[in-house]
Amino acid sequence: MTDSDSAAVEARGLVKAFGRRRALDGLDLSVRAGEVHGFLGPNGAGKSTTIRVLLGMLRADAGEARVLGADPWRDAVALHHHLAYVPGEVDLWPNLTGGEAIDLLGRLRGGLDPRRRADLVERFELDPTVRVRAYSKGNRQKVALVAALAADVPLLVLDEPTSGLDPLMEAEFQRCIREAAAAGRTVLLSSHILAEVEALCERVTIIRAGRAVRSGTLDELRGLTRTAVVVSLRDADGALAALRSAAGVHDPARVDGHVRLDVDADALDDVLALLPRFGVRGVTAHPPTLEDLFLREYGEAVGSPR
Amino acid sequence: MTAVAAPVPAARPAAPAARRAADRWAGTGALVRVALRVERVRLPVWLVAVAGLTAASAASQADLFPTAESRAARAELMRSPAATALGGPGYGLDDYTIGAMVANELGAWVALALAVLSVLLVVRHLRGAEESGLLEVVRSTPVGRDAPVLAAVLVVTLADLAIGLALAAALVGTGLPAAGALAFGLGCGLVGLTFGATAAVAAQLVTHARTASMLGLAAIGVGFALRAAGDVRAPESGSALSWLSPFGWSQATRAWVDERWWPLALPVLASAAAFGLAALLAERRDLGDGLLPERPGRAHASPRLTGIAAVTLRRLGGALAGWAVAVAAVCGLVGVLAREVVQFLEDEPALAAFFPEGAASAADAALSRYLLVAVALAAAAGVQGVAAARAEEAAGRAAHVLAGPVGRARWLGAQLAVVLGAVAAMVLLGGLVMGVTAASTLGDPALVGRLLGAALAQVPALWAVTGAAVLVLGVAPRAFGLAWAYLGYVALSAMLGGVLPEGSDVASPLRYTPGMPAEPMDWPAVLVLAALAAALVTGGVLAFRRRDLLA
Repeated sequence: MTDSDSAAVEARGLVKAFGRRRALDGLDLSVRAGEVHGFLGPNGAGKSTTIRVLLGMLRADAGEARVLGADPWRDAVALHHHLAYVPGEVDLWPNLTGGEAIDLLGRLRGGLDPRRRADLVERFELDPTVRVRAYSKGNRQKVALVAALAADVPLLVLDEPTSGLDPLMEAEFQRCIREAAAAGRTVLLSSHILAEVEALCERVTIIRAGRAVRSGTLDELRGLTRTAVVVSLRDADGALAALRSAAGVHDPARVDGHVRLDVDADALDDVLALLPRFGVRGVTAHPPTLEDLFLREYGEAVGSPR
Repeated sequence: MTAVAAPVPAARPAAPAARRAADRWAGTGALVRVALRVERVRLPVWLVAVAGLTAASAASQADLFPTAESRAARAELMRSPAATALGGPGYGLDDYTIGAMVANELGAWVALALAVLSVLLVVRHLRGAEESGLLEVVRSTPVGRDAPVLAAVLVVTLADLAIGLALAAALVGTGLPAAGALAFGLGCGLVGLTFGATAAVAAQLVTHARTASMLGLAAIGVGFALRAAGDVRAPESGSALSWLSPFGWSQATRAWVDERWWPLALPVLASAAAFGLAALLAERRDLGDGLLPERPGRAHASPRLTGIAAVTLRRLGGALAGWAVAVAAVCGLVGVLAREVVQFLEDEPALAAFFPEGAASAADAALSRYLLVAVALAAAAGVQGVAAARAEEAAGRAAHVLAGPVGRARWLGAQLAVVLGAVAAMVLLGGLVMGVTAASTLGDPALVGRLLGAALAQVPALWAVTGAAVLVLGVAPRAFGLAWAYLGYVALSAMLGGVLPEGSDVASPLRYTPGMPAEPMDWPAVLVLAALAAALVTGGVLAFRRRDLLA
């Protein structure tokens, strides 16, 4: 269905309006085959709408989408043989047990590997004999995860799959995704949990108000922004004066006897060369976290290292 | 962080006992207001429907039985055990006024409607709110432990009394005496309240709203059966069994015969006791828990749970079986009554003159008439089945399934196959039961085949009504109320056919099916209806394939 070097997901200029509200406003998204791709954005940015267009649940008003080379609206059934989906809000048949729901979802796609199912049920510590209506949110999420991960498909579409999971299960989920990636499966992971995206994803797309505002590898995105540096100096006052006039330095300040500043990526070399004459006693520098990137895209105050 | 921590407000000193007791009810008023707001459409609709339909039926009875002679003849018919079981003990049969007729023939059914309303209302606000987690949020605010139960009590009491009084007013409006109307309205309202209180207890016992509703509805069924059995044992007074049933208490007011008021104390006392028990039970359990244990289910799906149709059957099986039982019960009772119809006409040559072919054709007319009631019930089951598919979609389960290799036509088609098959089976079952019972009471074995055939001829019309709901689902899923409204129109036209203005049923498919066995088969009409049904279902499925999912 797809040749190996083409994109697993390719969306160009997607537009989707609900009444007068434009949920998607010219959205582009490109997920390469075999990568784990993070899909980030605040509530209401259009992540779930995008995914639902990519699954053929909604028909885009404009733009083009290809998933594994297929048109997600027209070729939905053929396409869905090759992908598995975990929705953000998992609602399953209340009067079925978790085990029955997993088996039913599996049978609808022609059966699932019983060994893999048993393995996943054990890893996620799911009690499959409980009826769905009695599960907590996290446990319903696990049912959907087991059903999706047990399917032998090249593409996983996960819409905030770990909301409601405890940290142990979150770690298990990350192991599962790494295994999937190692096995060559493509993963589109929409998430709010930035640490999870940072740990799993090679490339990310950040969207805002129905439009992609950043897309690239984490390193590329980090290169676009500033590094936070904290220096301990013999002559802090002299250093501050010099830094204030240096190019590419932002918000130098004295904090608890140290000097802290943000440096543009391309000015880092010059700025660090300037410091030794003020007697450097210690230095810490950290690249921007995904959270910094994310907050910057949304216009929050960024600048103080945590 | 500031150096000085914000002072933690000291916990309130131990309140005096009286205040602690009052705290248990704190916030009740606010909960009642919220509940009334949530129900602001549903309750008025019930009120207008119950009061309006009862008054319309009373008026039509006055038209149908204008003279004392015709009413006396009707009273004779009502003396039969089958009529007693369906209606009431038969107070005032010796002087069968319109009032006595309303109380005897409609009272049990009006009370039944209020009982169902009350059970659903109480369960929705108690166990439903608890299951969805709403009650947890509410209880985290300064709302007392007993406030939710008390609020449910007040809301259901208000609802039942309001409907009871509206009922009384509407009946006075048709010209019936006020005292009897008040006894009748209050009696019906208090039956509702009693079953609402029973449902409040059920809501404490089990963890799921659905199970609690089923327990409440089962209690109604038991109450109705007790009254029926009790009244049959002691016609015109009611036996001890009748006095065990809230339905019996309401009928014991003898509305429009010689009213007595003290039986109304029984439902008041019983409701108070049941609500007290519910409050006690609510205190003895944790929020979200029931008192009866939840059993573990299967870890693996059984080999029969293979697809959409299987899971639909699993989900709707109970409800569909319930509708089938209702259809079979109505048809069976009508079949048993068939003999009384014939007897009645043989005793009343004046009436028999209306049926040129004699009493047998009158029986056929009655049977075909009641078969329509069965069709209306099955149509309600059909619309409910389509509504269930919509609920699957709105809950997001459709998206989850359709993200697998399942096409939209298959997803909807499999569910519709179950629903359409089930409603057709329901009507055929009704025809069979009516046929067998009528054949044995009338001694005419040919009736089995004739009524089965009559039922079969109704299937296209039934599918057309269901198909209309499918079309709404496909084209305007957010306006699914239209499907229910259309069902209401079809059911009303079928049940009140003789009373409504001529031609008002022009948009109901049931109008065009031959009224077998009284009328001959009309192939063109049935085939056109079958084509219409196919077009509606196909159109709905095609529209569903082309639109966005709801969730």
